[in-house]
Amino acid sequence: MDDRRATPRTALPAAGARTASVDIYAPQWRNFIFVAPFLFFFTTLLLVPLFWGMWLSFHKADTFSSGNFVGFGNYIRLFHDKVFLQSVWNTFYFVLLTVPTLALIGLFLALCLNRRTRTAAVLRTLFFSSSVLSVTIVTLIWRIVFIPNVGLLSTIYGWFGATAPAFISDPSLAMIGIAIATVWWCIGLPMMLFLSALQQIPQDIYEAAALDNANRWQTLRSITLPSIKRTFVLVVIVQIVLQFQLFGQAWLMTRGGPNNLTKPIVLYIYDTAFRRWDLGMGAAASEVLFVLILMAAMAQYLVTRNKAGQA
Amino acid sequence: MTADIEIRNVSKHFGAMTVLDDLSLSIKAREFIVFLGPSGCGKSTLLRMIAGLETVDTGEIAINNERIDHLPPGKRGIAMVFQSYALYPHMSVRDNMAFGLENIGMPRDVIDARIKESARILEMEHLLERKPGQLSGGQRQRVAIGRAIVKEPKAFLFDEPLSNLDAALRTRTRIELAQLHQRLQSTMIFVTHDQVEAMTLADRIVVMNNRKIEQIGSPMEIYDRPATKFVAGFVGAPAMNFVEATLDRSSRNATARFADGVSVQTEIASGQTSDGKYTFGIRSEDVGIVPVGQGNADGVVDVLERLGERTLVYARLGDGQQIVGSDAGNSRVAVGDKVGLAFDGRKSHLFGETGRAWHAGEV
Amino acid sequence: MRAPTISIKGRAFGDRVLLALVILLSLVMVAPVLWVIGLSLKENAELMANPNSVFQAPYTLKNYINTIGTSSVFVWVRNSIIVSGGLTLGTLILSSLAGYGFARLNFPGRNVLFVIVLFGLAVPEQAVLVARHQIFSMLNFHNTYHGLILPGLSASFGVFLMTQYFKAIPKELDEAAMLDNASRFRTFWKVLLPLTVPAQATLGIFTFLGAWNDYLWPLISATKKDMYTLTVGMASTQTNFAQSEGIGFLMAQAVFAGAPILIVYLFFQKYIVTAVSGAAVR
Repeated sequence: MDDRRATPRTALPAAGARTASVDIYAPQWRNFIFVAPFLFFFTTLLLVPLFWGMWLSFHKADTFSSGNFVGFGNYIRLFHDKVFLQSVWNTFYFVLLTVPTLALIGLFLALCLNRRTRTAAVLRTLFFSSSVLSVTIVTLIWRIVFIPNVGLLSTIYGWFGATAPAFISDPSLAMIGIAIATVWWCIGLPMMLFLSALQQIPQDIYEAAALDNANRWQTLRSITLPSIKRTFVLVVIVQIVLQFQLFGQAWLMTRGGPNNLTKPIVLYIYDTAFRRWDLGMGAAASEVLFVLILMAAMAQYLVTRNKAGQA
Repeated sequence: MTADIEIRNVSKHFGAMTVLDDLSLSIKAREFIVFLGPSGCGKSTLLRMIAGLETVDTGEIAINNERIDHLPPGKRGIAMVFQSYALYPHMSVRDNMAFGLENIGMPRDVIDARIKESARILEMEHLLERKPGQLSGGQRQRVAIGRAIVKEPKAFLFDEPLSNLDAALRTRTRIELAQLHQRLQSTMIFVTHDQVEAMTLADRIVVMNNRKIEQIGSPMEIYDRPATKFVAGFVGAPAMNFVEATLDRSSRNATARFADGVSVQTEIASGQTSDGKYTFGIRSEDVGIVPVGQGNADGVVDVLERLGERTLVYARLGDGQQIVGSDAGNSRVAVGDKVGLAFDGRKSHLFGETGRAWHAGEV
Repeated sequence: MRAPTISIKGRAFGDRVLLALVILLSLVMVAPVLWVIGLSLKENAELMANPNSVFQAPYTLKNYINTIGTSSVFVWVRNSIIVSGGLTLGTLILSSLAGYGFARLNFPGRNVLFVIVLFGLAVPEQAVLVARHQIFSMLNFHNTYHGLILPGLSASFGVFLMTQYFKAIPKELDEAAMLDNASRFRTFWKVLLPLTVPAQATLGIFTFLGAWNDYLWPLISATKKDMYTLTVGMASTQTNFAQSEGIGFLMAQAVFAGAPILIVYLFFQKYIVTAVSGAAVR
């Protein structure tokens, strides 16, 4: 194998025509081979569908054909559709219910479990374990908790002679029921993110604080919390991105009911595109979701970016 | 196997910054060459250019009169020992050594024989099945050398290979390297910023500073007749004394006069010098401690460093200039004493404003 | 020396409150699962008569025997293993190659391409779902294994993780390999790849779990019952379960589906936690 590069460089007056010296770090097309396989899938399965989806959102389309160009027709229909507007509101409501709860409980657990004892390790494992379950199992578990008669909740209320709130069928409680199941399912990630942030705080700061006679509350307020401020913002944004994509819990626990009150945007997309086969409108709805998530992702990028500047 | 290496008018730039500026150097076969210089002087870059890990912007490099600067690193017939050793962590010592030979399709029995032989030379037969992680720093160093030896290269390149070892091990490895060179009779290029390594190992030292070669010469040439003020200051511990001086060129040999009136009769011919500002230089061992008034100058002792076989005396002259002299190991001098300093004119040096040097006995 | 005494007392009291809260939360974590396990061990008729019977014998394994005997669970488990395994293998191969390429090799347009790949991290599945479904319909990919595996291969996360990991390996190893006459691919394969095993494990488990638990794409792509993954299949059995004849049976299925993944989690905890923290620094 000869590494001589084909392109001759400008000849030097003294040396006459010369072969360029070997440059092991020079850009070479054949190095592209290593990234080509991934880029193939990335392009065909992500980039192409991304733009195809944008294109679709301007057309009236079904599964096998993309019909007429309708301009912003789909978007106009979308924003006149009460169900869609309801689903946008539902999604925001759900994010508002879950994200602060996840961030605060996650922070609380991380602060309590950030120690080297065996109990703490077991509890950390426990609180993260639900995260590895599939949405199917999680919703099954929580439906059986909320269900009347044989449900765990109604059984517990039964011991005190009370009737359990109907978390799945009561219109005002249904979304809260979904949120509870979601927090139960997702609490592991924020806790872990906070834990890894806490572990990056240099120990000597705490030693210095102890020498300064700071009590626990002062230490927490003036050292721990300021040190993980960035992580807190990051956790909130990551959770916003994740919870915006609510689908499985709502679909499996309530089917979006009662009265579309728990139907999130993704479920609306699913209904529109894959049950009513109105692909154009479904694509338009997914572009709206994309823009919303992209804004959160941009915020995340900016927060991560500032890391160097702040430290 | 051995080879001479020819470096002709080599330059190197990183962006707008020049790292090496028009260097030329001939390395003879079987020679042990040391590139010595402070960090950032370009010595490692030059070594990596010979290895093929850096481009040669202009100029050329040849081994045995064959241009190699367009060849990829593996085709140059050289072996390199990295500062970090760069052993493959997941391979056993044996596999580390075999890797390069397998890559060129060498038959298994030849590979095994070579590994056996070099393991014997380096006394590490018992380490062959271990992984680098299970070895001490010194053992890793040996493996790195072993990995180079099995290739039977035309030349060995060492990039500060001793800097990760502790002091005792460094001394021992240094001696072993010298023995290895005698035994293999191979061309070796060794990069270091440690002048002791350079002095003890080199046939010839290439002192580099600031993108350029300052001097090429045997260790004693470098030490006794430094070509520039930089070399004089960089080689030798403690560093050479420098005092600003004017020259009295009225007699055959020039006399250096310091600002406060002290004068030293050198053995440097007046005719070689010219008018202008000079720096007078003399090594500590050439400054004797004598009773007050009997030397060229008197000074007050600031600090004493007792090295055992001799004592370094840091004395301050009247104008505040510090001079390091040397006295017997059992010197009675104490801090605060006033002593006389006797400069040995035969061993004194003069440096011009450009850094150029004059030595005693130069024709 | 009064102050220390007070703070020690305060600490003990505060600790107790915190401990109580943590225990309460861990009960909330555990109780539903125990409830499900309890239900799965009961006869349906008995449950309907009195939910509190969960706390009393007799217990039975009948629901599990029914699960194993009658349902399509095994087909779904097999599908899930094929899909998750295939996606994991594919992701590891693609990400390792691309990670090495981006971290170590230079080629025209490298930096721009890497930024585009990073941009992929911000594209949610839902944004490409509709178009992907239509493309796959045209290609007749639905209800096939490759139809279920392929979309996951476009995820950027693995490339990002592996690029970071390769970058952390000292460059001298590549240079030593180069001096040892190894080709680029051989350097990748024999020298660097073995050093990325921890990252491979992390990425592998992460990908496998994600694929195993994925719901949305399998739901719309695998519409035939014998192509369901476990997640979709399980969901399909619980549609009308309030009136269901067999709550215990459903619960047995849930335990049957959830237990293996929990066991895997316990075994590979370290890697999973690394993956999660690794995702954090992105």
